[in-house]
Amino acid sequence: MSPRPQIDHVRRPQILAAAAEVIAERGLAKTRIADVAERAETSSPAVLYWFGTKNKLLTAALREDERLFDELVAERLESLDRPSAKLRELFEICAEDANWTLWLELWTRSLHDEPMREAERQVESRWRALLTEVIEAGRSTGEFTTDSAENAALAIGAIIDGLAVQVTIEDPAVSRERMLAICVSTAETLLHADLSARPALKAAS
Amino acid sequence: MEEASAPRSEGPDARQRILRAATELIASDGIDEVRIARVANRARASTALVHHYFSTREELLAQALLQSFELAADERFVAGPAAAASATEGLAIAIEECLPTPGEGEREWVLWVELWLRAAREPELRPVAGRMYESYREWVARVIRRGVDSGEFSQVDPDQVADLAMALFDGLGVRALIRDPAMSLERARRIAAERLAAELGIDPEALAGASTG
Repeated sequence: MSPRPQIDHVRRPQILAAAAEVIAERGLAKTRIADVAERAETSSPAVLYWFGTKNKLLTAALREDERLFDELVAERLESLDRPSAKLRELFEICAEDANWTLWLELWTRSLHDEPMREAERQVESRWRALLTEVIEAGRSTGEFTTDSAENAALAIGAIIDGLAVQVTIEDPAVSRERMLAICVSTAETLLHADLSARPALKAAS
Repeated sequence: MEEASAPRSEGPDARQRILRAATELIASDGIDEVRIARVANRARASTALVHHYFSTREELLAQALLQSFELAADERFVAGPAAAASATEGLAIAIEECLPTPGEGEREWVLWVELWLRAAREPELRPVAGRMYESYREWVARVIRRGVDSGEFSQVDPDQVADLAMALFDGLGVRALIRDPAMSLERARRIAAERLAAELGIDPEALAGASTG
């Protein structure tokens, strides 16, 4: 019997951050639990205690990524009142943050693995709910016009994903600026809205 | 420098068989699960022969992906829309060819998504992916330019609309491919048709109608 691993609650976020890095670099197939442990400066038993398997480690790393993304979104949208400003800011965040490597891993694994597919759906449906909520809000203020907020959210979500893939693989034709410009102009046509001005967010920090 | 020579009876056919076997296995099992021994077995070749043509597993997989897209592009992407009677019909065909339709379309899509992942991880594959996106972009832009020139579409910048079209196809296609309950293939088609029709100033029904005809 191996000694019982030391359960250190503080380690969990560090392990997840380390897992996200290592998986993005090498892919899940070539990631060893020991590599993640080393990056997180902890032991393999500690990693296994928290996550059990590599697949669970990937989905947990993605959930953590999502949690951080949610925090960032909450922080950046907090000071904005108008839905059009919020939507514009979401595009800014996605373009700045566009590294979809972990998502690509999840998508490819979803093709062959049902639990992965389930994890993907949960994360995706929350993101889609956020987009739909912002679009609905814009509809009630009269800033957006659309027959179906859900359809609009699907279209906008798809464009963000499609462009983010090209940014992630460094397609020279799609820079972050271009990604943002296409998202903005498409949403303007789609929602009959004006998203041209970036709102004054906060005083220069 | 000495190189092992391939048995003469094998020749370039064997290289093709190996590539085909590799793409089939990538599509069915996922790229991470592909083993040289299984590729060899499926191609009725020895592992030594596989290594003769492809020095590493990564090289074999990259070549398999590349070739699969080039073949698809030549056979379908270029020929289909070019033969269409109008630019609108050409675009409807393009939408259909770019989404993961059952069978061959889905199989190619699995490889496409695998390529994204490899290129995200391995910088040396990015030029390969970049080249594919470049041909893809040229091809989509050509379909749009035809309609701009003929006056069927509004006076848009074909390259700009091509970027939007590709983002739509990739983003909608991947959701349909992984069977997102909110994104049936039919819904992906409709959203792509609506968005592009709005940009091009045409009736979305003209795109949807032609694609299902």
